[in-house]
Amino acid sequence: MIARAFFATFKAILSDRPAFLLLGVSFVLYSFFYPSAYTGQVAVRLPLVVVDLDNSASSRSLAVKIGATQQARVVARAPSLNEAQILLEDERATAIVLIPSGFGDEIRAGGQGVVSLYGNGAYLLRSGAALSGVATSLGALAVESAKDQARTLGAPAANPLKVIERPLFNTREGYGSTVVPGVVFLIVHQTLLMGLALLAATLREAQGRTKFPLRTFLGIALAFFVLGVAEVFYFSGFVFWLQDYPRGAGRLGDLLLSGGLFVSATIAGALALGSFFRTRERPVQIWIITSLPIYFLSGLSWPIEAMPHWLAVFRRLFPTSSGIQVMIGLNQMGAPLSNLWPDLANLFGLTAAYGVIAVCRLVDFSGGAGLSSLTKGRIALSQKALSGADER
Amino acid sequence: MRAFASSFVRELDFLSRNFWDRAMVSWFPAMLLGILAWVFGAGVVRDLPIVLVDQDQTQISRELGLRLDAAPAIHVVASILDFGEAKQFVQARKAYVVVLIPSGASREILQGNSAAIEVFYNASYSTASGALLRDVNSVIEDYSAKLAMRQTAALQPSGVRPPPIKVQSTLLFNPQRSYEFQLVSLLHPALLHLAFMIAVTSALGRELRDRTIGEWLCERWSTVPAIAGKIAPYILIFMGWSLVVTVYLAKFRGWPIQGRVSLLILAYLCMYTAYSAIALALVGVTRSMMQSLSVAGIYAGASFAFTGAIFPIQSASGFARVWSQILPFTWFTKVLNGQWSMAGPPEVAIGYIGILCLFTGLGTLIGLPGYINAATQPAVWGRR
Repeated sequence: MIARAFFATFKAILSDRPAFLLLGVSFVLYSFFYPSAYTGQVAVRLPLVVVDLDNSASSRSLAVKIGATQQARVVARAPSLNEAQILLEDERATAIVLIPSGFGDEIRAGGQGVVSLYGNGAYLLRSGAALSGVATSLGALAVESAKDQARTLGAPAANPLKVIERPLFNTREGYGSTVVPGVVFLIVHQTLLMGLALLAATLREAQGRTKFPLRTFLGIALAFFVLGVAEVFYFSGFVFWLQDYPRGAGRLGDLLLSGGLFVSATIAGALALGSFFRTRERPVQIWIITSLPIYFLSGLSWPIEAMPHWLAVFRRLFPTSSGIQVMIGLNQMGAPLSNLWPDLANLFGLTAAYGVIAVCRLVDFSGGAGLSSLTKGRIALSQKALSGADER
Repeated sequence: MRAFASSFVRELDFLSRNFWDRAMVSWFPAMLLGILAWVFGAGVVRDLPIVLVDQDQTQISRELGLRLDAAPAIHVVASILDFGEAKQFVQARKAYVVVLIPSGASREILQGNSAAIEVFYNASYSTASGALLRDVNSVIEDYSAKLAMRQTAALQPSGVRPPPIKVQSTLLFNPQRSYEFQLVSLLHPALLHLAFMIAVTSALGRELRDRTIGEWLCERWSTVPAIAGKIAPYILIFMGWSLVVTVYLAKFRGWPIQGRVSLLILAYLCMYTAYSAIALALVGVTRSMMQSLSVAGIYAGASFAFTGAIFPIQSASGFARVWSQILPFTWFTKVLNGQWSMAGPPEVAIGYIGILCLFTGLGTLIGLPGYINAATQPAVWGRR
């Protein structure tokens, strides 16, 4: 009975083209399409504009040295800050180095020359980190420039502390590898949720609220579970390998367990939610507009610690929130399951809670609809539409 | 004009009678806009957890720990000796950064050498780690300068001088480094254009699905104003939402518009018209509500990633650059960035708005004949 419902579910998916596109095709399409947005490489050398208002020997030598650092390349020299700003607005440069007039005199007199570095805050996420790199390398140049000063005044204060930055885990730090490995589990979630809801809504529109025997219900859930686990492995195995994202840091068994929990929570939620839809097209509408907020609630691109407390609690209602964290933990950070237990427990809790709702809404313990209704929903809907047209 | 007005009233009447269709243009997008506003409401990140591995255990290392904890973005959740244990904190997401002070650091400093402080950051969480790195760096730099002064004073009391060059780092156009401004100003229109496109695609496709297109577009000579009258309520509603989110950020959250508000509003209007035309093209070509919605999802669903406003699209693959350019939202964000924070030249913004109008023209050209034609072909009606 479970097995027959299992196969009937796949038959239902295959016989409904939009559902098949959503459940069987869209994630493959997305797996190639979405990462392409992030193929841009992290700018190794930040394009800079130098504004030298001092025009002294010291300032010129500093400008030359800036161009020779690893973090930056000088793309233009501008006579004033205003003109440099235009280059910034045109995106021809990412930052401006301003050497004020009097800079050389100040250094020769044994004082401190101040160099200003301006980044483009309109592109905060891009320029924030890169800018601090340039600032650090400018600071290092200071020591070299100090040699002139040292000849006359003696050595200046040394730098007692220096910082060495080392990335942990996602060591390539590409744009793609920080976003896509999280987003793909949102894609898994949204396609499963809305594909299932689409089929459920079609059934409901065609023949009203339908309840199934428990075994049929389990067969349906199992079919979607298998589909979901296959998607998780398709992304964690094939796509991450193809795109060369960090992967395989955790154990395969851990991945199977966690991926399975994430998919079960998603399927349980989809069954519970799907039972409420009454119009076939509605799930597609919802799928498109909810993805952005659900992604930012996951806590990958915006730290959970910075969210208001109630949102930090509310976000746990979405399987993606814990799912993305767990999968990043396993695929990128190689975390043992013991470190991920709060999120795993949450996924388990969601499976149970949504599962109970789904059973209450969809299971009839004293019988319920036959298997044939599974695949006939769409046909019934078309016939209904036709007869409606005849009446008109 | 009569066809426009009657179509307009007919659509409003439909919305007033259908709770869920009304929800999709009213409280549902409002709720999502609200969630996004709340997520980033803090704007700047504060008190993110880090772990200190102090293997030096001297007064200097302890003071560095205190100074780190005092920085706004940083909260030292643990100070331990074992680096392996610290890594566990990061794997369990109880810390984003580990600052390692190696043993013998203060001896190096007292001998007049440099001690290397190692800062390990979780690159899987780039926003949190980036904010922390900035603060960790500036704390260490400051403390380093203090130590240098103290030390030089001890060695040669007469000759204390600051390092000869100081770097002041400023962000133009967003000096507060506010993620709220950067992200919410883009995420709100991103959500709005998706909700708008879904609403218009559904409105146009619904007439085919429900077999009502024939009686609605029965008068051949007035089809164009009738279609415009159907789309107009959605443009009005979403212009309303655009004003709400703009006022929210500009007035209530304190991110005033540096350029011209009128250009921003015009850009919103032209973006919505462009997406109406694209919706018309999708429905006109597929002649199915379901299919046009699915295609709309693929086409616009990921436009936030392809704008290039968050990640540089210029250096991405050719496909990504082309895809970015065929999305009206990309051009809209150029106007928004130029006018909101940079007070960019109006001519440039008007150029981008012109491109938005091109989409409108092209979409109408592709979609209008097919859609009007479908009104006289009952065979294509009712597809689910």
